[in-house]
Amino acid sequence: MRQALTWKLLAREWRSGELGILLLALVLAVSVVVGVSSFVTRLQSALLSESARFLAADMVVVSRTPLPAQWLAEAGQMGLLSSEGVGFPSMVVADVDHMALVSIKAVSAGYPLRGALQWSAEPYGVLRSGGAIPQSGEVWLAPRLFALLDVGLGDEVIVGETSLTVSGAVRSEPDATTAVFGFGPRLLMNTADIEATGVVQPGSRVEYRLLLGGASNAITEFTEWVTPQLEQGQRLDSVEGSQPGIATTLERAQGFLLLAGSLAVVLAAAAITLASRRFAERHTQYVAILKSLGAQSHEIAQLDGRSLFWMGFAGTVIGCGIGWGLQELFIRLLGALLPVEPGAAGWQPALIGAVTAGVCLVFFAWPPLRRLGQASPLRVLRADIGVADVQRFRDFLLGGVSIIALMWWYSGSALVTAAVITGLGVVIGLGFLAARLLLSGGRSVGGFAGSIWRVALAGLQRRGRANALQMVIFAMAIMLMLLLSVVRSSLIGQWQSQLPADAPNHFLLNLAPEERPSLEGFFDNHDIASETLYPMTRGRVVSVNEAELPKWQEVEAEGAPRQREANFTWSDQLPRGNVLLAGDWWPADSEVPWVSVEEDFAEDIGAKVGDRLAVRIGADTLEVTVRSIRSVDWQSMRPNFFMVFPRAVLERFPGMYMTSFRLLPEQKPLLNQLVSVLPTVTVIELDIVIKEMRSVVDQVARALELVLAVILMAGGLVLISGVRSSLDGRLRESALLRALGARRGLVLGALWIEFLVLGGLAGALASVGAEVAAWGLQTQVFEMTWAPTPLMWCLGPLAGAVIVGALGVWSCRRVVRVPPIVLLREV
Amino acid sequence: MIKVNQLLKTVPTADGDLTILRGVNLEIAAGASAAIVGASGSGKSTLLGLLAGMDVASAGEIWLDGECLSTLNEDERARLRAEKIGFVFQSFQLLPALTAKENVMLPLELAGVPDAGGIAERFLAEVGLESRLEHYPTTLSGGEQQRVAIARAFAREPRILFADEPTGNLDTRTGERVIDLLFDLNDRASTTLVLVTHDERLAERCDDRFAMTAGELSGP
Repeated sequence: MRQALTWKLLAREWRSGELGILLLALVLAVSVVVGVSSFVTRLQSALLSESARFLAADMVVVSRTPLPAQWLAEAGQMGLLSSEGVGFPSMVVADVDHMALVSIKAVSAGYPLRGALQWSAEPYGVLRSGGAIPQSGEVWLAPRLFALLDVGLGDEVIVGETSLTVSGAVRSEPDATTAVFGFGPRLLMNTADIEATGVVQPGSRVEYRLLLGGASNAITEFTEWVTPQLEQGQRLDSVEGSQPGIATTLERAQGFLLLAGSLAVVLAAAAITLASRRFAERHTQYVAILKSLGAQSHEIAQLDGRSLFWMGFAGTVIGCGIGWGLQELFIRLLGALLPVEPGAAGWQPALIGAVTAGVCLVFFAWPPLRRLGQASPLRVLRADIGVADVQRFRDFLLGGVSIIALMWWYSGSALVTAAVITGLGVVIGLGFLAARLLLSGGRSVGGFAGSIWRVALAGLQRRGRANALQMVIFAMAIMLMLLLSVVRSSLIGQWQSQLPADAPNHFLLNLAPEERPSLEGFFDNHDIASETLYPMTRGRVVSVNEAELPKWQEVEAEGAPRQREANFTWSDQLPRGNVLLAGDWWPADSEVPWVSVEEDFAEDIGAKVGDRLAVRIGADTLEVTVRSIRSVDWQSMRPNFFMVFPRAVLERFPGMYMTSFRLLPEQKPLLNQLVSVLPTVTVIELDIVIKEMRSVVDQVARALELVLAVILMAGGLVLISGVRSSLDGRLRESALLRALGARRGLVLGALWIEFLVLGGLAGALASVGAEVAAWGLQTQVFEMTWAPTPLMWCLGPLAGAVIVGALGVWSCRRVVRVPPIVLLREV
Repeated sequence: MIKVNQLLKTVPTADGDLTILRGVNLEIAAGASAAIVGASGSGKSTLLGLLAGMDVASAGEIWLDGECLSTLNEDERARLRAEKIGFVFQSFQLLPALTAKENVMLPLELAGVPDAGGIAERFLAEVGLESRLEHYPTTLSGGEQQRVAIARAFAREPRILFADEPTGNLDTRTGERVIDLLFDLNDRASTTLVLVTHDERLAERCDDRFAMTAGELSGP
């Protein structure tokens, strides 16, 4: 067939509207895939920058000894930006009456390489950021140090052997959570003044940090170069490992976004399959007429092949455009919340969109069209000649395999793919089983039912195969929507429960037993909520079942048992937030030397329930038996301990107390009072860390909502396509019923029942599939605890019935509005 | 022009093979008109489908303008239809997305005939639809749709024209007008016309009349 004629026929087919439906499905599919994947790509880059912000760099070399100058030079040669820092705890003195233990951080030009250092000219003044660090000879103090030291701007403070001028207040550092040098409030100074202080001597507790920033390949190159040279006490901190809590949050968010993208691919495939199925069905007569007029099979195949190619091309181009617009809209909606400008999405999302369109067209749209070319021209004489199966099992199999491959490529996770595919497999298997039962059972029920039910059930049975397929596709779409909603809710729920609004935000250590009443009085007077006071003793496990454990540095093999030093406490009950994994808790007031061990710690020392441990506390050795193994929620912001003993066992050892408490921002100055009342205690301020974590969670949660909304929209569109795919048959039958004198109520009622039954069943199947997939995702991918979602079991069938019922009846509304003769002529 | 020898058509059913045509013999001269009459289910349309090369016989031979259909494959039979055969169907079989003119142009375009538009306009004028060129089938009456189908069938100037119950979906008066038109065009183009009908008045206007009864053909 000549090219010009192909175009002409294509243009005429386009006018018929059938191609338009297919193109629309294709455009929607590509837009959703491109939109979600470019949004995810850009968000990932933003989240990565966000992680880098917590490190103030892309990578940090941390060392207890000064770093070789050659490392700095090498980093420069590799094109990396760098900045050096030194951290240590020290006393700062304003005058004989005012001195404080502070956490000193000295920084050099360029700090921070990522994120922003915020400061102000006065303790609680206007925030500034951008480029500045304390000049040589100057220091910036944490706001509460001004009151503690009774100093103001321009005053001198003494650090070690040198005197420095207070020139500003340090308000927030990007790496405050990762660069902790001791527990006191921050004093920021310039590295140029370090030598003059004379504080940093061989053997002193100092941390040297080399901050590096640059292209990821340069970072990788430097990592490979420096790793073999690292000695004891030296390590590399990278973005991934910088902040376990935030890293987990970001990792899970990323998993969720990739999951959403994969679901978009499946929904896109479903929409295209439905549209092409309808296209093929409506195209049969067209092909028969063309053949009766002398068109040959290969000419028709060529025409359809070209049509599909150009449609795929147009669909991909338009879809990429819309998808790009969609992600741009998301980024703008989210813009105010994003801490950094998200990077470019690149070509990958467009490629994913194009491949999705190609795969769907080749495996789902092309096979039925190719077979149409072989349709008998006899159909023009005999309308009763059936249409060859428009889609065959082999097509679905090939298409299914290619979609799995696409999902895998897209999500980069076999586990995510497997969980979703398992859920979908359950839906498909149960769906066809249910359809079979319903369709055979429906007839016997229908016999006894009233006329509306009889018509509805007869309709369900007559289109048995088509209904089964439709129900399975409805179920798949609903399942994917339910799944994403459930995973989103549990992710956000988990994040919020990690950081409840009333979480303690300060730790207090080194409280002497006799100071307890003073502290409790202070908390009472100022209405400060605190956790229980835990006694704390430091000790070391030296042997398990009489076998002596090697010292830490003597063990080379990863994961081999070794001695570990840890904080011990005593408690007569299981500490809050801990979960017993093995064994049980001892009775109150037990004097038996039991111990409860944290699970990772138990693994490190190679201990299990019933084992006998030798524990060295100071000069004493204590023999104890492991009574239980516990898991501990390290992100709970409560005091947590590796080893817990009965009170009577540990009480005789000298120890200090610790607790955590919550201070509101306006109560912050109370810390100075607390430290003056109890000068020996150490306070760790975590309020900044918590604030940062909460802001990350908020941003990520908002992004998840947006992506969920898009997927819900895509799912809704699949449902609409599903309803439309069976529209012709339903319209024809309903028009016939009306022509035979059926009342409007009967026709509408029967349609309602038919779609409600299909939707309700699809919803029920979807709940089963979603639960299975959610279990897989939550336990295997997100490493969260799984709990069944009873709400989904009610909501799934209900939502399925209501949405599919309403969509179905709405799509068929013409049947009661237009005279039946008009409809019969049209369809 | 058309010669049929011992044509047999059986189709498989759940209860075994069902014989639809039992040894049909037929000969129609070039330029003649022939009617095949018979009751519903007698096998008329099956015979027409076989004669037009849209279906394959179980046994026997069909010769069309010197070519033996049973030796041609599906694509060769399609080429034969494109070159030599025109069709008029009971249910018109117009493409709903195409205008009247485009429906007539379609077979011309498929055969690569230049100026398909001009030819289509001329034939539509001949069937009295010059004012309906850009109308879509759904906006035309049954009679008008069948006239478009007739224009489409004659536009390619086929050697043979098959008509399957051409008045079956039309009222008597419209049917008569359509038949007048069909015979008029047929006479002018000297086409061989084969009609399948159960309308005896229509059959009487043909040169030859064959009767189909339970798969067997008798006459003329």
